[in-house]
Amino acid sequence: MSAILQVTELRKSYAGVHALDGVSLAVEAGSITGLIGPNGSGKSTAIDCISGFQKLDGGKVVLAGNDITGQPAHHIARAGLMRTFQTVRIYERLSLRDNLAIAAQQFDPATWLDEFLRTRRYRQAVDKAEVRARELVELIGLKRYWEIETGILSYGQKKLVALAAALMPHPKIVVLDEPVAGVNPTRIREIEVALAELNRAGETFLIVEHNVEFITNLCHRVIVLDQGKKLAEGTAAEIHTDARVLEAYLGMTPEMAEAEMRGAA
Amino acid sequence: MTVDAVYLLQLTLNGITLGLIYALIAVGLSLIFGVMEIINFAHGELLMLGAFAMTFALPVMGLLYWPSLAVAILAIMLVGLVIYEVLLARLKPDEFERSILITLGLSIIIIHVMQYLFTATPRMVDTQYGFEGVSIGSIRITWTRIIGAVAAAAAFGGLYVVLRHTQFGRAMRAIAQNREAALMVGIRPRVVARNAVVLAAGLCGLAGAAISPIQLVTPYMGQFLIFKAFALVIIGGLGNIPGAIVAAIALGLIESWIGGFYEIIWQEAAVFVIMIAILFVRPDGLFKRGGMRVG
Amino acid sequence: MKLAIALVAALAFAALPLMTSSNYIIGVGISALIFTVAAAALNLIYGFTGLLSFAQLGFWGIGGYVTALTVVTFGGNFWWGVLWAALINAVVALAIGYPTLRTNRHAFVIMTLTFALLVTLIARDWVDLTRGPLGIPNLPKPSAFGYHFGTTGQYYWVAWAFSVAMLGFLYALCSSRIGRTLVAIKQNEPLVRAQGIAPMPYKLSAFAISAAVTGAAGGVFTFHLGIIDPLFLDFYYMQTFLIIVIIGGAGSFWGVIAAGIALSALPEVLRFSADFRMIIYGVILVVAMFVMPTGVAGWLRERQLARMREQLR
Ligand SMILES: Nc1ncnc2c1ncn2[C@@H]1O[C@H](COP(=O)(O)OP(=O)(O)OP(=O)(O)O)[C@@H](O)[C@H]1O
Ligand SMILES: [Mg+2]
Repeated sequence: MSAILQVTELRKSYAGVHALDGVSLAVEAGSITGLIGPNGSGKSTAIDCISGFQKLDGGKVVLAGNDITGQPAHHIARAGLMRTFQTVRIYERLSLRDNLAIAAQQFDPATWLDEFLRTRRYRQAVDKAEVRARELVELIGLKRYWEIETGILSYGQKKLVALAAALMPHPKIVVLDEPVAGVNPTRIREIEVALAELNRAGETFLIVEHNVEFITNLCHRVIVLDQGKKLAEGTAAEIHTDARVLEAYLGMTPEMAEAEMRGAA
Repeated sequence: MTVDAVYLLQLTLNGITLGLIYALIAVGLSLIFGVMEIINFAHGELLMLGAFAMTFALPVMGLLYWPSLAVAILAIMLVGLVIYEVLLARLKPDEFERSILITLGLSIIIIHVMQYLFTATPRMVDTQYGFEGVSIGSIRITWTRIIGAVAAAAAFGGLYVVLRHTQFGRAMRAIAQNREAALMVGIRPRVVARNAVVLAAGLCGLAGAAISPIQLVTPYMGQFLIFKAFALVIIGGLGNIPGAIVAAIALGLIESWIGGFYEIIWQEAAVFVIMIAILFVRPDGLFKRGGMRVG
Repeated sequence: MKLAIALVAALAFAALPLMTSSNYIIGVGISALIFTVAAAALNLIYGFTGLLSFAQLGFWGIGGYVTALTVVTFGGNFWWGVLWAALINAVVALAIGYPTLRTNRHAFVIMTLTFALLVTLIARDWVDLTRGPLGIPNLPKPSAFGYHFGTTGQYYWVAWAFSVAMLGFLYALCSSRIGRTLVAIKQNEPLVRAQGIAPMPYKLSAFAISAAVTGAAGGVFTFHLGIIDPLFLDFYYMQTFLIIVIIGGAGSFWGVIAAGIALSALPEVLRFSADFRMIIYGVILVVAMFVMPTGVAGWLRERQLARMREQLR
């Protein structure tokens, strides 16, 4: 396996606050990688820097062999990195269907002239996107909202729409910032299953999430950030027994963690 | 062409007076933007009302300058308070376009009501000083100009003290710098916004009162000034008060100098050319404010 | 369905000069057509893209002057004048749009406002080019293929054909995926970027197209008036376009068209006093912004949405 996303020595500070202080991480193609850490440890900042939403002060980002450091966000998206935002972002005054259609439109061969003249190439692209959109809507369980403005959905449902939109164009890597924060437990289980399914089909994920169970169940590798630095990295089980992580993040002693692991098993 | 030093000095003095007037308007706009993130299109009309207030106050006060000035300023602060309570208080933060359209409507209403009531005929304002002034060599400046400039400068001094050293000034700066943090420490945004609008209206009233003896007073006098004040707020960096003052005085000087040597069209176009140039070089204005996060 | 109604309405409008010989009524008809086009162009940039542009007034004025000067000073014909008006405005829009749109929408609004003022000043003060406050009177009515559109009734056809063509073009644009992308940019620009779409080309094109259409409309309107002077840049025009867009519903293509046709009669109804008319305009603007900020179309849509929500319960 090779790293589809390779990040080296990322640095970013906001007016004196070192949000990222030399963070390196790699995401293997076809894997699910978790990025966890306490509030304010720099997870969202890392995503923003990688996806071109923040200018970085130093470091390098390589996506599928291409150096994308410092490129504008839309270039990085076109290069195959789709992301969601921690505070949910969707088009609230557009229908669910349009939300998903827009997410894929940059990736089909129709040019603006095709769009204006509604050529066959354009219609084919639209039909293809529609098929994909219906699949994903099935996946997130929002089928009956297909034609409805997404503004009326609940917060958790909006998060699901954002997730589906990120999946629309079959990106090389999907970066999710707290995809299940505010989503109810049964739905979280379903999303877990769905993401695992997509992953088996070849999709790569980098997931930021505070829900430890979700991360533990899904991720092949987990990276822990604390105060802008990488604190630990390993499999979920390794992380769970790492004393520094337990102290900094989970707020438990190793004994407590072991007891919990045994309970879960 | 040989440049006459006296002429140049005269232009410079005029430029500073002009710049101070611009600054009074631009600072108010900047203050309101900083606190509420909206633009008050009717700000120029506050200035016009200030000038009209002066035309009514002076005869009543027996042409005494200072009491009339005080009355004019208070009257406009009251108008500002009413505008805030009736219209602006209903706006949510970040309803920028809506704020412009609403205050645009207000501006149209004020202008045409004034024109309906008092006609478009320009009015002259006479004060106790008449056309008296001081002469330094061959330069002559009327007292009304000097006093206007001094009053403006004093107003900035007062504004500085208010923003730095009073409770509500600090609250205003806190909101302008970081809205969320300010709300968390218990600052009430409505009270602060109201104070900001009233304060800005006061500055505008002062500007109007101060130029009334210098310029003809008409219902339209605020319109041309306000366009320039908008541009100044952009050039100085949206919401940046010192930036607006510096930009305003610089513009006053530049316009005055250009006006002294070239056709009027160049004088009027200057602000636009400068704004385009600045936006090309520094998209956030000369002195920018902190950015926002997207994630 | 909507298209069928639009087609019938367009044909009904075409028949206006056959139904009346009153130059006054036909003149109101021309205003209605041209103002609707200008409002639809404003709707493209404000309603769809979310950028409040006061530069429309400047484009309108430039369009009027360019068309008039093409005919009077440079010896061209009316049709070339309108084409030049569109082209020059598009270029101007790109030139002021590019530096401004890089900043933020606040700067954009203010920049466009200052631009409108600048055009007014040029019209008034650049006497060598524009003839200043006196303006250029006696603009000759155009002809094509040997037919002279000499009377108001005949010129009405020109305005009609122009409007139908422009509205058709704008409709094709707004109802396409491009229009939807503009709406997306208005609603959530960071998300648009995260989905690989660069907002800048969209915003710039929308601005340039809006400028070109407004400029051409200004050109056609000037030749209806038969004179151009700095009054052609009266802020009153901008307010009319704005009110049409706001009452119709910013972002709704048909809402704005309907409002344009309906409201263009308004200035005629309010003809009795210029001051009073402006006061009413101001009141309409303020009240509309509070009572129905999304216009009639927005209000209808809101109700439709409420019904859908009901059904989901
Ligand atoms: N735009 C900004 N301006 C100033 N400081 C910022 C900005 N964005 C983030 N920070 C700071 O950078 C640090 C890292 O923030 P970040 O949002 O990346 O944390 P996080 O790990 O995503 O936290 P959470 O789990 O709460 O989402 C914090 O100290 C935060 O205050
Ligand atoms: Mg975060």
